Amino acid sequence: MPEPGGTIDELRSGVRAWAEQHVPKDWREEQRGVSHEDSVAFLRWWGGQLREAGLLAPHWPKAWGGGFSIPEQVVIAEELARAGAPRNALFHVAVYNVAPAILHSASAEQQQRYLSGMLAGETWCQGFSEPNAGSDLASLQTRALRDGDDYVVNGQKVWTSWARESRWCMALVRTDPEASKHKGISCLVIDMESPGIEVRPIRQAWGPSDFCELFFDEVRVPVGNRIGDENNGWAVAQGTLAAERAITILDMTERLRRRGIGAAVDQAASFQLEDGSKAIDDPAVREMLAECFAESEVLRHLLNGMIDDIVRGADVSGTSSIIKIFYSELLHKLTRQFTDVLGARGQLDGPVLASAGWETDFWMNDYIHSFGWLIGGGTSEIMRNVIGERMLGLPR
Amino acid sequence: MALSADERDELRSTARALLQRESSAAQVRAVVGADPGFDRGLWDQMVELGWTSIHVPERFGGAGCGYGDLAVVLHELGRAITPSPFLASAVLASSALAFAANEALALELLTPIVNGEVVGSVALANTDGSCDRSRATTAWSTKAGRVRLDGASGFVLDADVAGTLVVVARGADGATALVAVDPSTPGVRLDRTSLVDETRRAFTVSFDGVEVGDDRLLCDPGQAGDDLFDRLLAVGAIAVGCDAAGAAERTLDQATAYAKDRQQFGKPIGSFQAVKHLCANMAVAVESSRVATVAAAEALDADADGWSRAASVTASFVGPACAEACAIGLRVHGGIGFTWEHDSHLYLKRVKLDEVLFGTPSWHRRRLAETVFPTLIAS
Repeated sequence: MPEPGGTIDELRSGVRAWAEQHVPKDWREEQRGVSHEDSVAFLRWWGGQLREAGLLAPHWPKAWGGGFSIPEQVVIAEELARAGAPRNALFHVAVYNVAPAILHSASAEQQQRYLSGMLAGETWCQGFSEPNAGSDLASLQTRALRDGDDYVVNGQKVWTSWARESRWCMALVRTDPEASKHKGISCLVIDMESPGIEVRPIRQAWGPSDFCELFFDEVRVPVGNRIGDENNGWAVAQGTLAAERAITILDMTERLRRRGIGAAVDQAASFQLEDGSKAIDDPAVREMLAECFAESEVLRHLLNGMIDDIVRGADVSGTSSIIKIFYSELLHKLTRQFTDVLGARGQLDGPVLASAGWETDFWMNDYIHSFGWLIGGGTSEIMRNVIGERMLGLPR
Repeated sequence: MALSADERDELRSTARALLQRESSAAQVRAVVGADPGFDRGLWDQMVELGWTSIHVPERFGGAGCGYGDLAVVLHELGRAITPSPFLASAVLASSALAFAANEALALELLTPIVNGEVVGSVALANTDGSCDRSRATTAWSTKAGRVRLDGASGFVLDADVAGTLVVVARGADGATALVAVDPSTPGVRLDRTSLVDETRRAFTVSFDGVEVGDDRLLCDPGQAGDDLFDRLLAVGAIAVGCDAAGAAERTLDQATAYAKDRQQFGKPIGSFQAVKHLCANMAVAVESSRVATVAAAEALDADADGWSRAASVTASFVGPACAEACAIGLRVHGGIGFTWEHDSHLYLKRVKLDEVLFGTPSWHRRRLAETVFPTLIAS
C-alpha cells in the first residue's frame, strides 16, 4: 500500500505496482454499454478499491488517511492515468469538492460525521446551480426558513451530478432574502433520504443521465447540518481549495494525453483517407495532433506552475481560470478535429463507456461531451471575466 | 549552478529597471534607424552586468549558471524589444562554442565573446530561412588540413558586427559541419536582408571558396555535427520563445492599461466583455507561454534529453500564441494601434519574426510528430 513521506520514486513504483494488480485489465470492454445502475455499482466498487489502498483521498490530512504532499498527489494522479484506471467519478464530488469545504469551514464534530461517512463509502452531490442561477450563482433563490432546530428548505437545484446515488447534498440556500445577494446565503448538508426531496435525472446531450434536477418541498434540515455561520455560505463554497482543482485537471490532462491524443494517433495510424493513404501520414492531421500534444505539454507546465504557487502560498485564482479555459478548449478542439478527420466514421455511435470520464471511443460523442467542460464549473466566458477583472484589474 | 528563485527575481528587476531606462520604445526607434542598429553603451552595460556570461561554463570565463537563468534576461529583452547582438552572440555563438567538442577552439574564441570584446553569431539557417540541416545551402569540403566553404546562409543575425561566425555547412556525403570563421576572411560577403522587424538585423552571408584551418571545426562532421546543430536549433527556438513571451507580456500590460483608461459610451472600454475577453485571451497566451518557455529553458539545463521535445513544444506553441496576443493588443488600441507612431506594431513585428527565425511552428509540429507519436502509441 503506497504511503506518504517516502521518496517520490518509491511512491511511483508503489502506485504503479498497485495499479497493475488492481485495475481490471478489461474493464473498458466490460463496462461499455452497461446500465446506469451497473455503471454506478462498478464505480462504487472502484472507489472501494481506492479506499482500501489509501488512494481515495490522498490530499486529505494525514489524520483522515491522506497526508500526501502535493508533489506526491501529482505522482498518484499520473500513475493512475498511466495505468488507464477508471475515473473516481462517483466519489469525486465528495472527496474533491465537498471535503475541502468541510475541512476548511465545518466543526470538528461535523468533520468526524461527514468525512468518516465518505470513507465508509457515502456519496455526495453538490446543490449549487438553479434554473435562474447559473453563471450568476449568487442570485440563487432556494429558500431555507428557520423553524425551531430545523431549516425548512423549498426550491429547485439543477445540473446536480450523481444526485440519484447520493446520500448527502451540500447545498447553497438563501437564509436572508433582505441581505445583498452574496451575503444572505448559507451552506447546508441535506440528507437525501429526507421527505420532500424529488430527484429527476436529466439526460445529457451525449447520452447518459448522471446529472439531475433536485426539488425541495418543505424539506427539514437540522440546524446542526449547517456548515459555517448562517449567511456565510458563499465563503464556505469558495473554500474548495485550488490545489484540489489543480490535481483534478492534472488527472484529466494525463488522461487526455493518453486516452485522447494517444488514442487519436493510434487510430490515425490505421484509418484510411479517401485516397487510401493513412490519416497519420497526412501533414494536416499530423500537425493538428502534434499541436494538441504540444498544448497538453504546455498545460502540464501551467499546472506545475500553479502547484508550485500553491505550495508557496501565492494567489492562484487567475491561473486556475486560465487552466480551466486551456483544458476545456484543448479537449474541445481535439475531439472536434479528430471527429472531422474520421469523416462519416467519426459520426458512428455505439455503447457508451460512462465510467471513463469523457472518452467513449466514439469521437462525435466525445465531442458533444466536451461542451460539458466548456460550460460546467464556470463557463469559459465567466472564466474570462474572472481573468479580466481579478487578474488584470479591468472594470466590471 | 542555477540561480535561486529569489536571485532570479533580483536579476529580473535589475534587467527591467535598466531596460526601462535605456531601452524605451522611443530609444529603440532612435537606434534602429542608423548603424550599428543598437545602442553600444547599453550593450556594454549588459556585458558588464554579466548577462553574456550567465549560462557559460566557468572554464570559459562564464558564471556557470543555466539557461533557466538566461531565460530571465531574454524575457526582459523581449519586453523591451531591445535591439542588441545578445541573441546572436551571447545565446547562439556562445552556446555553439560551449557545446563544441573542440575545447581548444572554445577556449580561444568563447572568452572574448563572454567579455564583450568580440561579437559572435551563427549562420544556422538556409538562404530561404528554413532550418533543415539536410538542405543546408552552404557546403563544406576538406583538403590537406584546410576546410573550404562555398554557398550562402540566410538570416544571419548581426553578421556585420560579428568577429566570430559559426557556420553550419553540409558536406558532399551529407555530413553536417560547424566551422568558426572570421567574417573578414577573403571570400566572405554580407548582404543586408530587409526585415519588417526593425529591431533585428539579418544578413545573407555568402562564402566563395573561403578557406580556414581544420582546427576551426567545432566538432567532427557527421553525427557530432548533427547533434550540435540540433541542440543549437533548440537553444535558438527556446530563446526566441522567451523573447516573444516577454514582448507579448508587455503588450498585454499596455493593452490592459489602455482598456482601463480609454472611455467610450461613457465607460472604460475594458468594462465591455468584448474587450475584456480579448484581454483575457491575451493573458491565457502570455501566462502559458511564460511557463512553457521557462520549462523549456530549464530542460536545456537538465542532464536528460528532454530539451529536444521541449524545444519543439515551445516552437509549436509559443510563437503563434504570442503573435496572436500581440495582434489582439494592437486591435484593443483601435485606430491609434494602427499608426506608425504607436508602439503596438513594433511588438507584433518582433514576435512574428521570433515565431519563424528557428523554423516555422508547422515544421516544429511535424518534427514533434516524428518523435512523440511512436511513444504515444507505445503507451
